[in-house]
Amino acid sequence: MNISKIANLKFFYTKTQRISIYLSFSTFVLFCIGIYWGLFIAPEDYLQGNSYRIMYVHVPAAWLSLQTYMIMAVTAFIALVWKIKIMEIISIQCAPIGAFFTIIALVTGMIWGKPTWGTYWVWDARLTSELILLFLYIGVIVLYSSFVDKRQAIKITSLLSIIGLINIPIIHYSVEWWNTLHQGPTVTKFDKPSAHITMLLPLLYMFIVFNLYFLAVMIQRIRLGIYIREKNSKWMEDLSND
Amino acid sequence: MINILIKKELSLYFRNLNNIFLPLIFFFLIISIFPLVLGPEKTLFNKIIPGVIWITAILTTLLTSNNFFKEDFNAGIIETYLTSDVSIEIVLFIRIIVCWIFTCLPIVIFIPIVSILFDITFQSSIVILLTLVIGTPILISIGIFGSALTLGLAKNNILTPVIIIPFYIPVLIFSASAIQSVSAGLPYDMQIYILASLLTLVLPTMPYLLKYTLEISINN
Repeated sequence: MNISKIANLKFFYTKTQRISIYLSFSTFVLFCIGIYWGLFIAPEDYLQGNSYRIMYVHVPAAWLSLQTYMIMAVTAFIALVWKIKIMEIISIQCAPIGAFFTIIALVTGMIWGKPTWGTYWVWDARLTSELILLFLYIGVIVLYSSFVDKRQAIKITSLLSIIGLINIPIIHYSVEWWNTLHQGPTVTKFDKPSAHITMLLPLLYMFIVFNLYFLAVMIQRIRLGIYIREKNSKWMEDLSND
Repeated sequence: MINILIKKELSLYFRNLNNIFLPLIFFFLIISIFPLVLGPEKTLFNKIIPGVIWITAILTTLLTSNNFFKEDFNAGIIETYLTSDVSIEIVLFIRIIVCWIFTCLPIVIFIPIVSILFDITFQSSIVILLTLVIGTPILISIGIFGSALTLGLAKNNILTPVIIIPFYIPVLIFSASAIQSVSAGLPYDMQIYILASLLTLVLPTMPYLLKYTLEISINN
């Protein structure tokens, strides 16, 4: 099986129907196992008590929010340069998933902030750059949806997400620098949870599960994107008539 | 040929003197709204004036660069440039510079008056001037990039700022902190160097990026 075959829209659409169902189901089961592991089996933190357990959702979501932006920009670049249709679809479908991860990371971070910092929100470097990341995602989504001609929309949004990828490190370091200069609120950073292996293992496991979730949702969304794009083509009509 | 292009762009702006005065008047209007909202105590202004000046500069550059290509696009001039022998990168570069001269340079020139109005010290106003001179070309270029991205749309009034403002953040952070550092008596040269490096990154690459964006916006 070579790359050009997977990149074929029809091939992808017909072959992934089963895979996506299995993947979604197994992701759900693995997620439940991970939640149980994180919430009940992992040991209590000596400093933060039980409240640290939200980390098992918060940290993977934050990682995935950045990783999704990377994937979006890289696939956008491939789509612009080599004009591979499926890359265009992947790139544009990354934006809502990434925005979702960013919102999850922000909300769980706020919930976690209340018991540890005493307040829901501080203008901490990481929180602020995560918020800006959300704005970047929203920009991509809004720009794509405001075009009527979707071919042009994909090219324009690809360009925006590539420029955004160049800009993310600049934003990140400037925000970090801004925060250290301003000497933020009294509690800026809590001590990192001691990286004990019994706490770290569930975290890594949850990271893998979140990646699986990303993959499952991604395949579903690619299929939806292919359907919207090819719904008037002959093979799609044949497929739906069967 | 470059001389002709510069002359043409300048004469387009000089034909209507509103082009020079309106951004400046807008700048002063917004600046003078802040005392009305926040109260007249001058001690407060010393703290917030860098932010106020930079927010106002952002609004001015956003509004002036929002429909930067619209008229030329509707008249078919951009297509003519793209298909002709003229290097459109040079045209775009000149247009960015001329746009900066007519929207931001008046603001920079009138900063001494702003510093009289808000009791800014001489040294602070020098740094404000410096950051504006280095920072506003970056803002203008990014704003023009945003207007090129949304060129294919019929209505894009609020869309372009929503997309573009996150890209302004580094410039804002370093400019505001340079001004705050000088009023706190701290060294500010590092922030100026970073701003200058951003400028040297953005300004030469922007014409090529704009050309590519315009090509996408037109070939559809």
